[in-house]
Amino acid sequence: MSAAPAPTTNDAMAGPDLVVDALTVRFGGLVAGDNVSLRARAGMITGLIGPNGAGKTTTFNACTGLNSPSAGTVHLGDRRLDGHSTSWRARLGLGRTFQRMELFDTMTVRENVALGREALVAGRRRGLGRLFSTPAERAQGLERADEALEWCGLGHLADATVGDLSTGHGRLVELARAMASEFRFLLLDEPSSGLDVSETDHFAQILLDLVARQGIGILLVEHDMALVRAVCSSMYVLDFGRLIYEGTVADVLSSEIVKGAYLGSEAAEVA
Amino acid sequence: MKAYLPFIVTGIASGSIYGLAAVGLVLTYKTSGIFNFAHGTQAALGAYLMFEFRERMGLPWPVAAMAALLLAGIMAGLVLERAAHALASASVAARVAATVGLLVAIQGSLVAVFGAASITVKKFLPQNLYHLPGVTVTGEQIIVTAFVLVAVVSLYLFFTRTTLGLAMQAVVDDPALLGLAGTSPVTVRRFAWMVGSCFAALSGILLAPTITLDAGILTLLVFFAFGAAAIGSFSSLPLTYVGGLAMGLGSALLTSFLGQLRITGPATQLPVNIPFVVLFIALLVTPTRKLVERGGQVVRRPLAPVSFSRRTTGIGLGVGAAVALVLPHVAGPKLPLFITALAYVILFASLSLLVRMSGQVSLCHIAFAAVGAATSARLVAAGLPWPLALVGGGLVAVPMGALVAIPAIRLSGVYLAIATFGFGLVVQRIFYSSFLMFGGTFAIRAPRPHLDALHTSSDIGYYHVVLAVTVACCALVVVVRRSRIGRLLRGFADSPTALDAHGTNTNQLKVLVFCLSAFLAAIGGGLLGPVTGTASAGSGIAVGGFDFTVSLLLISVLFVAGRQPILSAFVGSLFLIVIPGYISGATAQKFTPVVFGALAVAAAMFGGRSLAGMVRSSARVRARETDTSRTQVRRRLLDATRPALEGGRS
Repeated sequence: MSAAPAPTTNDAMAGPDLVVDALTVRFGGLVAGDNVSLRARAGMITGLIGPNGAGKTTTFNACTGLNSPSAGTVHLGDRRLDGHSTSWRARLGLGRTFQRMELFDTMTVRENVALGREALVAGRRRGLGRLFSTPAERAQGLERADEALEWCGLGHLADATVGDLSTGHGRLVELARAMASEFRFLLLDEPSSGLDVSETDHFAQILLDLVARQGIGILLVEHDMALVRAVCSSMYVLDFGRLIYEGTVADVLSSEIVKGAYLGSEAAEVA
Repeated sequence: MKAYLPFIVTGIASGSIYGLAAVGLVLTYKTSGIFNFAHGTQAALGAYLMFEFRERMGLPWPVAAMAALLLAGIMAGLVLERAAHALASASVAARVAATVGLLVAIQGSLVAVFGAASITVKKFLPQNLYHLPGVTVTGEQIIVTAFVLVAVVSLYLFFTRTTLGLAMQAVVDDPALLGLAGTSPVTVRRFAWMVGSCFAALSGILLAPTITLDAGILTLLVFFAFGAAAIGSFSSLPLTYVGGLAMGLGSALLTSFLGQLRITGPATQLPVNIPFVVLFIALLVTPTRKLVERGGQVVRRPLAPVSFSRRTTGIGLGVGAAVALVLPHVAGPKLPLFITALAYVILFASLSLLVRMSGQVSLCHIAFAAVGAATSARLVAAGLPWPLALVGGGLVAVPMGALVAIPAIRLSGVYLAIATFGFGLVVQRIFYSSFLMFGGTFAIRAPRPHLDALHTSSDIGYYHVVLAVTVACCALVVVVRRSRIGRLLRGFADSPTALDAHGTNTNQLKVLVFCLSAFLAAIGGGLLGPVTGTASAGSGIAVGGFDFTVSLLLISVLFVAGRQPILSAFVGSLFLIVIPGYISGATAQKFTPVVFGALAVAAAMFGGRSLAGMVRSSARVRARETDTSRTQVRRRLLDATRPALEGGRS
C-alpha cells in the first residue's frame, strides 16, 4: 500500500547524516518545535538535550513520521524523509527507541530482537516474502539476534519474557533490537532512564562500540549528563521548542544559556 | 411544513430520551474509562422492573418507578462501579468482553424471566392533548422533553459550577492526584455510575410506554445512545444531548419522508438504523485526536497466547481425530448438532485470529458468516459447483473485512469495538432482508454437496465434508500463526508502534488480518446453511442464527475458552453449541446466554484468563491465603515465645 517504492540500503556507503532543516511542529496553538535545524553526522554520537517539554521527543517524532510538522524538512543522507510513513523511513534505515519503551511484552528477549529485524526484512520484501520467511532467512535472523544479544550482554536472558524484565534490561533489549535490524541511523530517546550507574557505563560502552563497528550515526536524547559527556561528540540544546545552543560537549556544559535553561532542575548535575 | 410538525414533535420527545441515555453513557465512560456496552440493556432492565412493580404487583406508578430506579439505577450503579474499578487496568479486549458479557447476561435473564414476546406497557404519564397551532402535543411528550432537559442541564451545571463536578472531570486523568487534593476518586466514580445508570434506567422507563416492551427492541432503541455519544465525540455532554435530539428528529422526519415518497425495500429500514449509520460515519470522520481512549494508559500486561509442546499437540491431535471419526456413529440424531459445532469451530478460529493473535476486536463477526451463508447458497443456486460456491462465499466477505479494517486503521481499542458493533448492526438490519442476502422471506435454499459416491448429502456424509473443511481452515490458521505473518501479528498485538518503527506497514497488516478473518468466518457461515437445508437469518440451530447478539456471544465465549487459538475454538464451540444442545429442559437452555455472559464478565475481571486459568488462579490465591495464615501463626508463636527466650538470655 506504500506509495513509494521500497527503499534499499547501500552497504558500500558509510552511514548517512541526519539533517533536520527549519522544522516547525504545532499542536493546535502550542508550538512544540520552532524552526529547529540540526545535523547529526555519521560515525558519531550527537546529543540533544533540554529540559522536560523542550521538544526533544517532538523532534524525534517528526524525524520518524509520528507527527506532521507544519514546516521544515528531514533528510537521511540525500533522501528526503518528510511526508513519508513511519515504516517507509524505517525501511530506508532510520531506527529509533522510545522514551516509554515499546517492546513486544509477551515475547522472549530473543523473539523481540529477531522480530524487529524480521519486521524490517518483511517490509522490504514484496509479495509472499512479506508473509512467509525462508528457513535460511529465519536462521539468519535468529543468528543476528543472538549476536546483538551477546553484544549487549543479554545472552543469559535470551529466553526470558520481556514483560518480566527490569527497566534497565528492557532498554538494552530495545537497543539490541535496533542493532540487529542494522539501521543506518539511530534515534535514542532517553535510553539510560531507569538505569543505575554501572548499567549506564555499560550502555555508554555499547553505544561507542556500535558507532565504531557499524559506522552509523546516533542522535541521543538524554538527561544523564555523565552519559552525554562520555559518548557525545557534539550537542544541541533545545528549550521551549527552540534550539538555544549548539557546540562541543565542553562548550555546552560551560554555557551560561544552557545553565539558565536548566536552572532549578538540573543545574547541579550540569555544573 | 405542516405535515412534518407531528413528526417533529414525536422526534423531539423520543430524541430527548435518546439524549438522556446517551448522556448517562458518556458520563460513565468519561469518569471510568469503561465503555458500557450493556448501557442499553440496563435501560431495558429499568423498564422491565417498572412493568413488574406496577402492572404485576400493582404498585402506584411513582412507587414502582422509584423502586425500579433504585434497583436498575442506584444499586446497579454501585455494582458497576466496583466492576469498572476491577477492570481499570485490564486490556481493552477484556473491557469490551466484560461489558458485552454483561449485556448478554442481562438480556438473557430478561428473556428467561419475562419471555421473548413483546409486552404492551400501560402509559403512566398524562395523555391530555394540547392543541398548538398546526400540531397536537400530548402531556407525556411535554413532560418527557422538559424533564430530560432539566436533568441534562442540571448535570451540566453540576459539572461546570461545583467542586465535586470539576473534580469528576479530573478523575480519569489522574485519580491519585484527585485523592491528594482531598476528594476520594471512589466517591466520584460511584456518583458517576449511579447517575449514569439512573439515566439509563429512566430512559428505558420513559421509552417503554411509547413502544412495546421487549428486551431486543428496547435495547436496540437505546443504542441510539451510541450514535448520540459519537456525535459528542464520547466526551461532550451537551453535544451528546443535542446528538440524541438530532437523531430522534432525523429518524422521525426520515420516516415521514420515506412514507410520502412511498419508498419500499431495504430503505424503509433506514430511519430505525440511523444511529448505527451515524455512529459508523462519526467514527470514520471524527479527528482521531478527539477520540482519546479514556483511562487507556494503565493496561495490565496482556497474557501471551499459549502454545503446547509437540508431544501434547500430538496426543491432542490423535484423540481429536479418534473422536471425530467415531462421533458420527455414536451421535445418532444429534449429528447435525456436531456439524453446526464444527462450523462454529471455524468461526471461533477466525475470531481468535483477530482477538488472540492480533489484539484486534470484532463485534460483527456473525455478519461475515451471514454473508458467507447467503452468498454460497446463491452461488450453488446459480449453478456453481458446491466447493467453489463455498469459497466464493468466503471471497465475497473479504471486501467486507477490508471495509471494517478502514475504521480499524483509524481507531483502536474500544472505538474499534464500537465501530465494528455498528457495522454488524447495519449489515443485519439493512442487508439481511435485502435481495442481496436472504431476501424478504429471510430464507433461501442451501443445498448440500452432491457426490453420490461419498453420500455427501446424508448427515454422515455432510459431517465428513464439514470436518474436512474445518481441518483445512484450522490448518490455515496454524500455518499463519507459525509463519512470518503470525510473528508480525503477535508483535502487532504487543506494540504496533514498535512494528511500524521497524519497517512493517501496520495498516497493511490490519487489512490483511481482517480480510483473512472475514474469509474464514464466511466459510464457517457457508457450512451452516446446508445443515438444515436453508440459509436464513436464523440458521445455526442452538443460538440466534446470524443475529448480532451471536457476535457478542462468540467473543464472550472465546474469552473463557482459553488462549490457545485452535484448542480454544473447539472448546468454545463445545460450550456454545454442543453442551446447550444436550441440555434438556427449556429453562436450562434459556439461561445459557446468562451463564456465558456472566463467565465472560468474570474472565475479564480475572485479567483475561480462561476458565481453566481462573480456577488455577483462585487456587493460587487460596494457597497464598493459607500460606499467610501459616506465617501469621508462626509469627504469633514467635511473639509469644520471645519474652521467654529473651528472658532466658538476659
